[in-house]
Amino acid sequence: MGDKVRFFGPWQRLTAQLWLLALVALLFADIEVISVDPWAELSRLALGVISPDFFATEFLLSALWQTVNFALLGVAFGIVLGGPLALVYQHPFVAASCAMVRGVHELFWALLFLQIFGLSPLTGILAIGLPYGATFARVFHDILAQSPSTTERGLPFNTDPLSRYVYGRLGHVYPLMLAYIRYRFECALRSSAVLGFIGMPTLGFYLETAFRQGQYSEGAALLMLFILLIGTISLWAKKNLIPVYLLAALWTIPDIGIIDGGLLWRFVFYDLLPPGIQGVIYTQMELSDGLNQFYQWLASITINQALPGVFATVILALSALGLSHLVALIAHLVASQHSGSKYRAVAGQLGLLVLRSIPEYILAFVLMLLIGPSMLPAIIALALHNGALIAFLLVKQEQGITPSATYKKRADFFAYEILTRVYPNLMGLLFYRFEVMLRETAIFGILGVATIGFYIDSAFAEIRYSNALYLLAVTALLNVVIDFSARKLVARQVEDSIAHGRSCIT
Amino acid sequence: MLRLEALTLSYGDRKVIKDLSLSIEQGEKVAIVGASGVGKSTLLAHIYTQLNSQAAYCAQSQGLVDALSVFHNVYMGALARHHFGYNLLNLIRPQTHRINEVSELCSALLLDVALNKTVSELSGGQRQRVALARALYQQQSTFIGDESFSSLDPVMAQQLIAQVLSRHPTVIMVLHDCQMALNYFDRIVGLQDGEIALDAPSQILQPEHLIAFFDRKVGSVSDNGG
Amino acid sequence: MLFSRISLLLLSFILVPTVCAQTFTFTAIPDENESQLQTRFNKVARYLEQELGVDVKYVPVKSYAAAVTAFRNNQVQLAWFGGLSGVQARRLVPGSDAIAQGYEDQFFKSFFIAHHSVELVASSNFPNLNGYTFTFGSKGSTSGRLMPQFFIERNIGKQAKEIFSRIGFSGDHSRTIAQVEAGAYQIGAVNYKVWESAVEKGLVDTSKVRVIWETPAYPDYQWTVRHGVEQTFGSGFEAKLKAALLNMKDPELLASFPRLSFVEAENQDYEPIESVAIAIGLLD
Repeated sequence: MGDKVRFFGPWQRLTAQLWLLALVALLFADIEVISVDPWAELSRLALGVISPDFFATEFLLSALWQTVNFALLGVAFGIVLGGPLALVYQHPFVAASCAMVRGVHELFWALLFLQIFGLSPLTGILAIGLPYGATFARVFHDILAQSPSTTERGLPFNTDPLSRYVYGRLGHVYPLMLAYIRYRFECALRSSAVLGFIGMPTLGFYLETAFRQGQYSEGAALLMLFILLIGTISLWAKKNLIPVYLLAALWTIPDIGIIDGGLLWRFVFYDLLPPGIQGVIYTQMELSDGLNQFYQWLASITINQALPGVFATVILALSALGLSHLVALIAHLVASQHSGSKYRAVAGQLGLLVLRSIPEYILAFVLMLLIGPSMLPAIIALALHNGALIAFLLVKQEQGITPSATYKKRADFFAYEILTRVYPNLMGLLFYRFEVMLRETAIFGILGVATIGFYIDSAFAEIRYSNALYLLAVTALLNVVIDFSARKLVARQVEDSIAHGRSCIT
Repeated sequence: MLRLEALTLSYGDRKVIKDLSLSIEQGEKVAIVGASGVGKSTLLAHIYTQLNSQAAYCAQSQGLVDALSVFHNVYMGALARHHFGYNLLNLIRPQTHRINEVSELCSALLLDVALNKTVSELSGGQRQRVALARALYQQQSTFIGDESFSSLDPVMAQQLIAQVLSRHPTVIMVLHDCQMALNYFDRIVGLQDGEIALDAPSQILQPEHLIAFFDRKVGSVSDNGG
Repeated sequence: MLFSRISLLLLSFILVPTVCAQTFTFTAIPDENESQLQTRFNKVARYLEQELGVDVKYVPVKSYAAAVTAFRNNQVQLAWFGGLSGVQARRLVPGSDAIAQGYEDQFFKSFFIAHHSVELVASSNFPNLNGYTFTFGSKGSTSGRLMPQFFIERNIGKQAKEIFSRIGFSGDHSRTIAQVEAGAYQIGAVNYKVWESAVEKGLVDTSKVRVIWETPAYPDYQWTVRHGVEQTFGSGFEAKLKAALLNMKDPELLASFPRLSFVEAENQDYEPIESVAIAIGLLD
């Protein structure tokens, strides 16, 4: 045994495990192809795409502008929140709290805040800022951990802790942090648009209506504008202009309105209390009756909603993880400047832009018409979106790679020279995105796939906030468990930094 | 000023410094010599931890922050002298007075680069001088240097060492240049295998006494081991 | 720098004067065609402003649940609710009144539509739906979910999830039609008005999807005014508002809902809706 030369290294093992997990998940997934004749609807859709109507949407410019506003203010709030948290992230309590906050989709944060702040922009800003802050805390912490300690050691002895920290640590890694913030800003634009689905005055408000009601010319126009907005970020989001934009955002955000402390009080101390407990506190219900009712409620919601929801969510996310790996590999090959002609690379990168910009909701919506309402549209939509996003980041990374003199633009050379170099990053990104996929399953819940998001959406629709809170808490805990075990799994396989997410940034 | 007695330092199981005793008085200019791996850097780092608030330390690893400018890297030598608010202000908007100080120091070190250049753009020799400038900018009475001139040509090295010596009453420096040690330092300490094998005033020493303490030909310019 | 801006933002929340509470605010989601929502309903707001003599503002919302929340939180004082959402809202704000409904809402109904591959024929008898796939509309919709689910469960005597091999919530009546037409679901429940106008506009291929059953009549959309408007806007405000709604004759305004006219309504008209919602477990 010991003499045998082994070529099955940690990366191969990790890949094999990933695929095994995904295949097992697929066994349990509902992937029936159902649709019989989607062509009538699809031809209407195609007609919409070739005849986009840019004048069908009222207040279009305002919607575009508010999309940017919410993203900017959300990210700014996220930085203010996540920056200091990054310094204490090593504390397990902080890490777990952040993982819980991250585990809840922006849409659900928004639905929660909606109960307190109504349609005030505060709802949208907090819904982006809170989970983004938790993400910044983790990623900034991971980035700071890579900062070399040599500088700090050589600093003058009596240097105060803050200067020591800023010059000695932050100085090393702030370009990485800025790059990460830039990347998150793009994500925030998507989040901001998606918050329109529940009523924020962003592009998504009109986009969702247009697609839901079959006004495809309007929908296509909005989608094109949105892709354009994301594709040209580097042109309009100049570093020097950011303060100007921020100030402009503060001026032009819709009226905040009145914050009513009573609503917060009522929401937290009445609405969120589960049945039984509420009865005991606010009515004359006997404690034993109350506890009994509470127990009935807890058992019923756990067995009928939480457990099946968690199961479907994990199955969906794991299947999508495997497929994302495949999509990322193929999309990367197609869009890489090292694998084909320049034109193909440009076309490929355009494709990546489109796939990563279109909200998964819209992708799944179209796929649902094509292949029916099983879990399959959701799996494919998640994989396309995340695969394209990963491929996009890889293409950016490999710009710094100079291949050997004998390099030819062929798949085999590509596999030897380029893929091997970016593969650790690919896997790192994939594991990092898994958390995102888990969260994004929420959106398909709203489309009707029975993930836990489906039950949460139902709880909000039925105005049963205690149900919503319980299911959200389950979602958040699920994320903590998965975050923890994924780090363990990856760290055991590959000792270096991928478990810490280093490769996710550069 | 500094008194080490029966000092032993280890890296894991391996003893790097064994039972070493050394005392250095204020105003002394001490060169530490020795072949690669005898524990010079370890000893020097230890000396710094003993003297800390009185000494400026220019380590071999330099500790430069690649993403920051030349100005900021040098200014870091002054962090302990200023309030943190002032330090942050200088990070965002360097103050004219400090720019002038740093600029003056850089020209004294023959470092002719724009102060707003990031250090990642500099050559090895330039980086070494930025690290040196940072240590000088600490304005301490004692300078502790670990092969601070290894990437420089001998002529420049001599000019710089004169700067270091004129600005600090006490200098403790690891050197890889025999001639420089003899010409500029009062006292030479030679390390062998973690112990002091030689400790004598430089007037009584000749280059051939020191051969055993250098890896290669006497007076070789650079050696990044140790 | 960033921080100071954020705190400025937070400060501005506290300093916003409370006078804007004097504006009379309403919301409405029509059961079809949500395009140009704001533009269309701003005209309704101008009409009400004229009739009532107070500032009137329209707030667009995306869902029945959002409308109910806004109503409960006094962010709107008047809402054009569906049958179920109106009941929910009035339960949450006791003392609120349904004051007017659409002419058609007195005898509203839902259609069950089926893909042509389904071997069920149109009939006045309740079809045997066992084993098919089925889609409702939005989860909080009266015509797309509540009443269809009630009639299904009452007629078949089982819970919906035991009857169908797959249940979906398309989210919207137009979606339901599209998904059944595409065969993604075999059967769906849809608001009769949305179906009729889609057929009229030629948006449905009636050789692919057809109506197989229609529900008995039930009350649906209504205007509900929030408890406490008399204190804010003066006594007699509710009566004035009711008159303004009932007298809305401009076809352009009525087309936004879309309704022929508005007629009187009161809370007890919706008692059947409430008991149905309790029966299928949507309300406690």
